[in-house]
Amino acid sequence: MKANYQPDAIIGNTLVQVKRGTDAVNAVRTGLMHLAYALADHGREVEGLLVLVDPKITTQRLAEEQRYAERTLNPKVAGRLRVITYRDGKFHDLPPGFEPAVRQELERVIEKELERGGTSIPSTRIYYELLRILIHQWLQNNGPMTADWLARTAGCSYPTVAKALDQLGHAIKKHSDRRFELDYFPRDEWARLVAVSDRARGTRRYADRSGQPRSPESMLHRVQQFDQPNVAIGGVFGAKHYYPDLDLVGSPRLDLSIHCPGRHADLSFVERLDPALKKTEDTREPAILVLHFVRRDTSLFEPRPEGLLWADPVECLLDLHEMRLESQAREFLNSFPPARGKA
Amino acid sequence: MNKTDDVMKLVSPGAVLAQIAAAIPTDCRENLIIIGSLAVGYHFFGDNKAIRVLTKDADCLLSPRIKAIPAGVAITERLIHEHWQFRPDETWSKPGDANTKDENLPAVRLHPPGTTDWFIELLTVPESPTDRGKRWIRLKTSAGHFGLCSFGFLSLANYEPIRTPLGIYVAQPKLMALANLLEHPGIRPETMTGLIGGREIKRSNKDLGRVLAIVRLSIGQNEDALLQWPAHWQEALQSRFPNDWRDLARQAGTGLRKLLDSPNDLEEARHTCVFGLLASLPPTADQLRIVGQRLMADAIEPLEERAKQ
Repeated sequence: MKANYQPDAIIGNTLVQVKRGTDAVNAVRTGLMHLAYALADHGREVEGLLVLVDPKITTQRLAEEQRYAERTLNPKVAGRLRVITYRDGKFHDLPPGFEPAVRQELERVIEKELERGGTSIPSTRIYYELLRILIHQWLQNNGPMTADWLARTAGCSYPTVAKALDQLGHAIKKHSDRRFELDYFPRDEWARLVAVSDRARGTRRYADRSGQPRSPESMLHRVQQFDQPNVAIGGVFGAKHYYPDLDLVGSPRLDLSIHCPGRHADLSFVERLDPALKKTEDTREPAILVLHFVRRDTSLFEPRPEGLLWADPVECLLDLHEMRLESQAREFLNSFPPARGKA
Repeated sequence: MNKTDDVMKLVSPGAVLAQIAAAIPTDCRENLIIIGSLAVGYHFFGDNKAIRVLTKDADCLLSPRIKAIPAGVAITERLIHEHWQFRPDETWSKPGDANTKDENLPAVRLHPPGTTDWFIELLTVPESPTDRGKRWIRLKTSAGHFGLCSFGFLSLANYEPIRTPLGIYVAQPKLMALANLLEHPGIRPETMTGLIGGREIKRSNKDLGRVLAIVRLSIGQNEDALLQWPAHWQEALQSRFPNDWRDLARQAGTGLRKLLDSPNDLEEARHTCVFGLLASLPPTADQLRIVGQRLMADAIEPLEERAKQ
């Protein structure tokens, strides 16, 4: 009887199993056993490769597990079974003679598995979520709010809200009914947020690997065909939705805001959007797609008849700053009546 | 048998097409469609005389089938009269005669006067939608007997061909791509008779590589060009294969998927592109894989969906 096992990929004669963020030895054992069963069903020319992506167990513990496996398994199987790790975008313990084409294919498989499994979004300072909500309400002239509403919108506790209001000090105007609102645009706090905007929003940048990059307009046309209820269009496109007279022709990139109140977001749509997109950590490399994560409980995104949503104006404003479009960011901010002459 | 290295030469698509159009009888131009790498080259680089395409032959499709024999005879007679030369090969040193069986007849392969850099080859479309095997029909000329070959999915190449200012036609590259996809539902082991860039190459990899080259050139012209392909492909399939177009649509991506899953075959395909249509801007293996993935996402998968409806 054959083992009912499907590897994550088959590259040449190698069965590949990818496990990410493994923090339990049991997960490693399961991966090894699955591959061992599959190898027992195949001829000697077939090998198995367990790829551990950013494992949380120590290298020493991993080596021990491999030794146990070698002792326990049939040598004909154990000899064809390898474990490698992939940490911080680099391979470790890669067997010698790995061809560049195979290595690239392996990277592609890892990337695909990572996207499929849901991407873990780094936690961000809730203060910045609160600040963005306060600015949003101020820009939209929505009037004063209660602490309860702000806590529910942000998805945090009352003491956290109180602490944030303290930090904003005089910028907060308190009303006699205990409601409050921003009194003016908090320039200093905003500058601090802009400086850490990419970390505060868990920004992910994607560059083109095809040599034939798609235009942001083409990607916008494509992405709005997808059924993605948590994805909103920001950046230049979003800013132009709120302020059509923005002094800018075209857009250098597509900015999307992803609403993910949990810690995980499904980013599998990125590969469907364009297989040429690859995540880059190099800020000097031109990104053509940029994702930002909105962690609060209520997105504040606006509906959009053509599909997807519009990111809120504060996200769009941050996107313009991130693109170094400072004069357009000023122009955009001043297009909102409360900010005119005050920001 | 040792394989000879490239017999392919760099030729200007525009110049070759002009020479063919000028040489053949005027009333046959309507029946002649250029297919293959020269057609692709003419479509994408026709205006640029500096760009040349590596090829050895100018494949000419005679269409419609009912006109193929008279047009084939008239073209062959005229070219021979104009001193075009029979291209001998290992099997044939001269044209056949009345005693030669149809399937053994040499194709019409003629070098233009004064050069052996390239030759014209005459083909025709299959007789019926179900006729996909290799078939020969006899052309009786004053210079001897020739065979006019038809096979596979050549009938897609004569679906709405593009008329050139020269009066002859070129096949639409996207339909040549579809024909090649259908011709190769897998990676077959047969290799090309000659070497390409010094390497022995599987025919499937060469033809699927041609598909990827067409896609890359099309995207270079219009980044969203592929989005239009599924509708055009469906129209062409329904027109040429009304009874089994859905089955064909469902299998159009089979070979390409296998190519993309096999790094070694993809590398062979890339090699043919580098020594062919993409010589001026050769892609890396990763870039060529992306071309294939974009084709899958924008054209093949939507075509498969259309076949389900």
